[in-house]
Amino acid sequence: MAIRASNWGWNPAGRRRYALILLWTGHGLWALFGQRPGELWARTAGLIARPAQRVASGWEHWREKRREQGRSYAELQAENARLRAQVAALELGAAQQAPRLTETDEAERLLGLRRQIPLQLSAARVIHSTRPEAFGGLILDGGREQGLVPDQGVLVPEGVVGRLWSVGPTQSKVLPADAPNASLAVMLARSRATGVLQGLGSGRAAIRYISNQEVVQVGEAVLTSGLDRVFPRGLLVGYVSEVIKGDLELRVTVQLSAPLDRIRLVLLLPPQPPLEVQEPFVAPEQRPARKRGMP
Amino acid sequence: MSRPVAQSGRQDLLCGLALALVFLCAPFPRLQAVFHVILVLALAPRVGAPLRTALWAAAGGWALEGALRLYPHMGGTPWADMTVALLVAWMAGRWPVEHLKGWLVRLAALAVLHTLLVHGAVRLAAGSHPWGSGWAWALASLPLWGWALWRLLYAGASPRRP
Repeated sequence: MAIRASNWGWNPAGRRRYALILLWTGHGLWALFGQRPGELWARTAGLIARPAQRVASGWEHWREKRREQGRSYAELQAENARLRAQVAALELGAAQQAPRLTETDEAERLLGLRRQIPLQLSAARVIHSTRPEAFGGLILDGGREQGLVPDQGVLVPEGVVGRLWSVGPTQSKVLPADAPNASLAVMLARSRATGVLQGLGSGRAAIRYISNQEVVQVGEAVLTSGLDRVFPRGLLVGYVSEVIKGDLELRVTVQLSAPLDRIRLVLLLPPQPPLEVQEPFVAPEQRPARKRGMP
Repeated sequence: MSRPVAQSGRQDLLCGLALALVFLCAPFPRLQAVFHVILVLALAPRVGAPLRTALWAAAGGWALEGALRLYPHMGGTPWADMTVALLVAWMAGRWPVEHLKGWLVRLAALAVLHTLLVHGAVRLAAGSHPWGSGWAWALASLPLWGWALWRLLYAGASPRRP
């Protein structure tokens, strides 16, 4: 790879060298100064990766099944013997109902949340998660064909999950709220101070732009402020886990309330929901009632 | 470490296979990281063909970033991959490895460098992000795939082993 004078002319070796320099510097400049992500490339790559996504969803189902059957063979035999001794048909029926009951519980909780929020919400199933890795997310089983569009808010009964990052024909990707490139407009439940939530990974996030004059307590609820037009005001995001005083602003760390690694069903908000749709989940402190006629 | 044309064709074939595996393993990020490291550190670099080295490495980087990841701005990984692959190719020409042990030690050092450079480049392009555990899996499995690739690529008849 020694640099020779003949390699810099317009000959095959020189052309290869120029192509290499162009490729390397072009990539470097693109990585440093590019403005938009390669959307076309991401779409094509998503298309190519779709069969693998299907394999992954099968793999996840298989693993779940295996977890449920995780008990040893001997234990299963003993259990079988006990079951034979009991009323077999009744026990079998109950065992068959168990997984359905779990799913029904989850669906019921989602239904409850749906009743609480007077908006046109749709539900979707999480078919795969790449969350443990850098820039990982959740894959939903709904896409453009189901009327989904990017930037729709995603939530579960425990709290806010994130927003739709990209939407394919039949599947879509969710950017979780703890991702390093995720941001969310939030406010603190007690002080009503607003800020921007930025992900830190592992179910944690930090709130930026909160003045160090504000009084923030550990354990205080963090709600959506509605200013990002992705979530309406008052949805639970998480709880303050740490407050450090900085020079200009407070460094507030938040533990997100949604169990991002254990989500199977989610609700999707409509695009650009109204700012105010309901009372906050965490009610503000009660004021003493005033007597009629008193100022 | 320069090889005859037939062996170079076989290496291209292995590069294509590794690239396909990077794509297909998108739902399994740890496994994907291992195939990505194999492609960049062991299969793509070749002495005397830097353009081909850079193209395979860049393809590996784009495949990793384009498959089931949510990068706000892509391009960091291909750039880092190209840089490391060119460095590996240069090192292979300058200091050819003669023994399996040297090959494995060099791969381990370059895997660490590759991890740091990819993390830094992605941080520049896309912002701060968690480390993940793919690098640890690649490093832990290095003796296995390093030995396999040594047998596959260098253990046959070659200029190093007359």
